[in-house]
Amino acid sequence: MIRALRMWAILARAALRAEMQHRVHFFFGLLGGLAVQGMGLVFIATILTRFGDLGGWTFQEILLLYGMRLTAHALWVIPFASLFQITHVVRSAEFDRYLVRPLNPLIQLMTRRMAIVTIGHLIGGVAILAAGMVRSGVVWTPVNVLLLIAALAGGALTEMSLQLALASLAFRLHSATELMLTLDSVFNSFGNYPIKIFGPVARWGLTTVFPLAFAAYFPATVLLDRTDELWVLPWIAAAAPAVGVILAALAYLFWRAQIRYYSSSGN
Amino acid sequence: MRTSLPGYVAIGRMQARTVMRYRVDYGAGLVRLLFQILLLRVVWEGLYAGRTMVDGISFSLTITYLTLGNLQNWLFSPWIFSLIPERVRDGLVGIDLTRPVGFLGQVVASQLGRTAAMAPFAVVALPFASFVGGAQPSTSPAAIIAYVVSLALGYCVITILSVLVGLITFWTLELEGLFLIYRMAVQFLSGALVPLWFMPDALRIVVEVLPLQAVMHTPTAIYLGRIHSGDVAIAMAVQALWVVVLWFAARLVWSRAIRRMIVQGG
Repeated sequence: MIRALRMWAILARAALRAEMQHRVHFFFGLLGGLAVQGMGLVFIATILTRFGDLGGWTFQEILLLYGMRLTAHALWVIPFASLFQITHVVRSAEFDRYLVRPLNPLIQLMTRRMAIVTIGHLIGGVAILAAGMVRSGVVWTPVNVLLLIAALAGGALTEMSLQLALASLAFRLHSATELMLTLDSVFNSFGNYPIKIFGPVARWGLTTVFPLAFAAYFPATVLLDRTDELWVLPWIAAAAPAVGVILAALAYLFWRAQIRYYSSSGN
Repeated sequence: MRTSLPGYVAIGRMQARTVMRYRVDYGAGLVRLLFQILLLRVVWEGLYAGRTMVDGISFSLTITYLTLGNLQNWLFSPWIFSLIPERVRDGLVGIDLTRPVGFLGQVVASQLGRTAAMAPFAVVALPFASFVGGAQPSTSPAAIIAYVVSLALGYCVITILSVLVGLITFWTLELEGLFLIYRMAVQFLSGALVPLWFMPDALRIVVEVLPLQAVMHTPTAIYLGRIHSGDVAIAMAVQALWVVVLWFAARLVWSRAIRRMIVQGG
């Protein structure tokens, strides 16, 4: 495990250095990542300037939720951005190489390339989170700080788990990228809002079948003392980080099981 | 122009075939579009919070505007950037230049071909989009005719603007991040997320002097009768003005770009 982490760090640094060769490309990549997050925020700021609140949530409260979601998203997508290339890697038989080298194939896939845009996501996410932390009125007791950190890690793991499970399908279906992009867009659009506004069916769907609510919304309601509005018990919301860990373990087992179905396209 | 027309048609057809080859990807893109429309619906429902009218504008009018606008933006697909970045990156622009038809014309022809191939997808998506979002009939037959004309003008604006942005590649080579910024700007400044009438005054004034509102807002607002019949001609004149201004800008930038050109891998 420690060896795997060290190998990841070395390979990731090499991939990052490759991306930084072209300075302009690097700079605009960062700006592009910021633009994506910035636009989502400008949208929320614009509508809340006009309407005051959304489902009872003020702009300041949504700021915290939004910052938590984006930071968690960046934490998963920075190391795992190459997962989106799985279709290409499987179809072009590049995966053959990963199997013969003495290192976990998942780590080799992860360090295939770094996506600079995702670093822009992290910068944007942390900035919004900081603003939300200051302005949301939450008192940052040690317990709350710990809950926040656990929630960010849990949110990253939740999103990673679902994406890893979808990516695993590529070994049998030879296609997963489009599914993953769709999941990504659902996370990035629906995850940033108080999920209670989506109505009863979507609420339960986003809690069970597709556990997006655990990524940021549940822990945010705990921090903001808004658990009255939930459709689950408050302790379930507070346990969101644990859900992330469990899902991650399941997803990894699924990935391991699916690799066995890989068959090289040959050349 | 007349003699080169078959050449442009062939290029357009080539591009249309590419769309058909990647139809699964386009289909998945449509599913994402439907999610986007659904999200806008629930968010705007939350904002209306049970009121039937806000500033004299009904929820059904707002959601029709957003549904129609997002579908149009998808069909116009401004983020595919007229292929210029891809052609420059792969060095294929060298081949393009040897063709006996103008390069900018080729780019526009490709875009037309792509749109023609995507149109059936949009038609199939329309009832689904109306279902997850909302639909309200137009105010009058005259408004529908004006809408079609205005939509065509809006299409010209976005296509030429994308060519212009794509030409930057001649100076910078591939710039994924820049295109992401452009794509986000198109989304917001065209009115696809917040109708112009709900923007704060200071923002709305800025948006109104930019070309992107002529892409989505103008035709959609005409369809819904939000632009009074006397002002429809003015709104369309503004669109036409943007077409002319942007076209001259694109010609100018192109005349500089061709001197900067690098053919990679040649």
